[in-house]
Amino acid sequence: MISLQQLTKRYGAQTAVDSLTFEIPAGQIVGFLGPNGAGKSTTLKMLTGMVTPSAGTATVCGFDLLREPLEVKRHVGFVPDSGAVFESLTGLEYLEMVAALYAIPRDSALLRIRQFISFFDLSFETLTDKLLGAYSKGMRRKVVITAALLHNPPVVFFDEPLDGLDANAAVGFKALIQTLAREGKTIVYSSHILDVVERVCDRVIIIDKGRLLLDGRPDELVATHQSGTLEKLFTQLTGGAEMERRAEDFAKTFRP
Amino acid sequence: MNPPPDAKPPVLNPALSPEKTLRRLFLTLFLRGRSSRGLRKEATPKSVGSKLALTLVVYAAFGLIALAFHGQPVFVLSVYLHSMTLVFLGMFVASSAGEVLFNKEEADILMHRPVTARALLWAKIGVLVQVSLWLAGAFNLAGLLVGTFSAEGGWLFPMAHALSTVLAALFCTGSVVLVYQLCLRWFGRERLDGLMTTMQVLVSVVVVIGGQVVPRLLFRPGGTPKFSSDSWWVALLPPAWFAGLDDAIAGRGTGSSWLLAAAGLIATATVMWLAFGKLARDYETGLQALGETVSRRSPRGTRRRWLDVLVSVPPLSWWLRDSVSRGSFVLTTAYMMRDRDVKLRLYPGLAPMLMLPFVLLFQNRGQSAGAPAGAFDGFGLAFAGGYLGMIPLLALSIVKFSQQWQAADIFRIAPIAGPAALCHGARRAVLLFLAVPAWIIFGLVAWFLPGERSHLPLMLPGIIALPIYAMAPCLGGNAVPLSMPSEEAKSAGRGIAMIGVMLVSVVISGLATWAWSGGWFWWFVLAETILVAGLYTGMRASLASARWDSVD
Repeated sequence: MISLQQLTKRYGAQTAVDSLTFEIPAGQIVGFLGPNGAGKSTTLKMLTGMVTPSAGTATVCGFDLLREPLEVKRHVGFVPDSGAVFESLTGLEYLEMVAALYAIPRDSALLRIRQFISFFDLSFETLTDKLLGAYSKGMRRKVVITAALLHNPPVVFFDEPLDGLDANAAVGFKALIQTLAREGKTIVYSSHILDVVERVCDRVIIIDKGRLLLDGRPDELVATHQSGTLEKLFTQLTGGAEMERRAEDFAKTFRP
Repeated sequence: MNPPPDAKPPVLNPALSPEKTLRRLFLTLFLRGRSSRGLRKEATPKSVGSKLALTLVVYAAFGLIALAFHGQPVFVLSVYLHSMTLVFLGMFVASSAGEVLFNKEEADILMHRPVTARALLWAKIGVLVQVSLWLAGAFNLAGLLVGTFSAEGGWLFPMAHALSTVLAALFCTGSVVLVYQLCLRWFGRERLDGLMTTMQVLVSVVVVIGGQVVPRLLFRPGGTPKFSSDSWWVALLPPAWFAGLDDAIAGRGTGSSWLLAAAGLIATATVMWLAFGKLARDYETGLQALGETVSRRSPRGTRRRWLDVLVSVPPLSWWLRDSVSRGSFVLTTAYMMRDRDVKLRLYPGLAPMLMLPFVLLFQNRGQSAGAPAGAFDGFGLAFAGGYLGMIPLLALSIVKFSQQWQAADIFRIAPIAGPAALCHGARRAVLLFLAVPAWIIFGLVAWFLPGERSHLPLMLPGIIALPIYAMAPCLGGNAVPLSMPSEEAKSAGRGIAMIGVMLVSVVISGLATWAWSGGWFWWFVLAETILVAGLYTGMRASLASARWDSVD
């Protein structure tokens, strides 16, 4: 469903993503992990057609990223980590605008939006009366997730999707993406909340400094590296193992 | 219940085309403003009709000045109308285009949707042109009537002028977009954000200054023109091209008018082709650049920024002993120098204010050349001294608004009893970096102008009143920097304050000039100093007692 071949992004002399190569079949939930600045968001932005690769290529749903960017965009949904929305639109105006960009007839869009509202426990009045700028962070995130799934894309990229969601909504969301994957959708899930990734994802890909470090099933990777948890494995790989000791030392500096 | 056998399947309400959707989106965003975060529900700009109508009424009211051109030839009337239209539209497009064309958050919302960069560009341009035409239409309303009922114009004038106004709007929008595209191509996307801000400020300032200078070049006081369509130098001015079209169709229809009209058509077509056709590919690059984040190593290395150094050494370290004032000073200065939103409101706002004293100085010289010394010699210089006092007033009323206003919660969280120290920091920043340089430049110009040097002390009363001008907007703790949303920036209250300052300046400069000619100027200065000291002390005490109001 997704195939990367030596995908690279350079900014001048700096390489943000360095020759990434992997494939993701349909129906898989893939945790895409890496420390800050590892190149995760840049990779997701390349795969959604937002950023042009410097070298290499990728296909999404069989469409070439460079030659058929609009087809790629029609077949993917994306929840960016910024959670950006047009704040001076109401929730409904925003979602209707997104639906129109995918040429979804207005009646179908409204029906679908009502289904999402019901799922996320939002009120239709809130969606029609309030501007998005007045929404709480969690409500906005729900609108962004709705906007990513509204056109029923076969591939969905999530960048920190749980940010701002309350516990109930987070549980519902995790169940939703697992069910969507069983129905055949491909989910790429980028997050720093590793215990969630460990529980939800069929596979994890860990990158650092733009390069692929590990790729495999979470339980197998944890067992192979004898790390106990995915979090410990991640910190071992990305130089965070010292963090706990450093935190303890630093906390001591707060003593009066 | 089953449907009747001949019932047709329900017809789905079709989606708007992506192009129409984008146009509607950008128009809504433009009219409502990009951000409404935290605005009170009743204050949310849901209905934009009244706001827009008010703007159009103001433009139409400005347009009434065209009534003064009744009886003038079509070309003269049209040059005036197109000059002012280009100034208004230039200011509007220059101040809006950067935000409309290159919005950072928009990349995350739209760039992964199935729309092309060209479709985005065209939708945005469409909105800019559409709003430009509304404004131009409102401004030209009175001029249309004047032209229609003039001896030369007649019924052809409205059609000709409508056509030339559309061309002028396209030319203006295209030119501003072209400037951005060229910058993008020449200077590269890495420096796009900073470059956009600088260009936007420069274009706005140039348009504002042009709006002050060009009418003075074209018309004598009283509105008598210094030109006709046969004047060769007129062909260098874009308003004359579009006025040429009016003159060719509805006026004299001379060869020179047709030539000017042709120049207007060719210039507009060229600008449109370059901005929306040839260089449109660069736009996609620019949009992508906004979506990309890359940390570049600072060429400075570990050197401290000049601002940090400046505030830590005398005399500034003495002036900014209080750490809160110093922090506020650094914050205000940084935003005046670096923040796109603040810069775009601040410098174009200050530009006409800085121009007027110079205009007064030179105009006064032109009129008094060879005239005997009178009781009000030097009034222009005295007035300029007071008028420049508006700089801190205007600047403080601008820097208190920001798109990052929520970050100002830190001031309330910090153990600071009230906003006084923060206001002092902001006040000192605008005084040091805006008011003082303006005075020095103006003083130097006056110093080198023959005959003005002896009148320079007349600027003193304005300078002495400066602490009052700068303290006034701080009263009640109203000048906490960057603490209010940009969308709430209202110019009406500021306008009234400006008129007040102007009246005070007229009174002070009138008294100063009278005292100068009467030989008691220095007594006047002494009295003013004592009065200002008393007022300043009272205002300072009042500000010190101000406390944070409740955030509801």
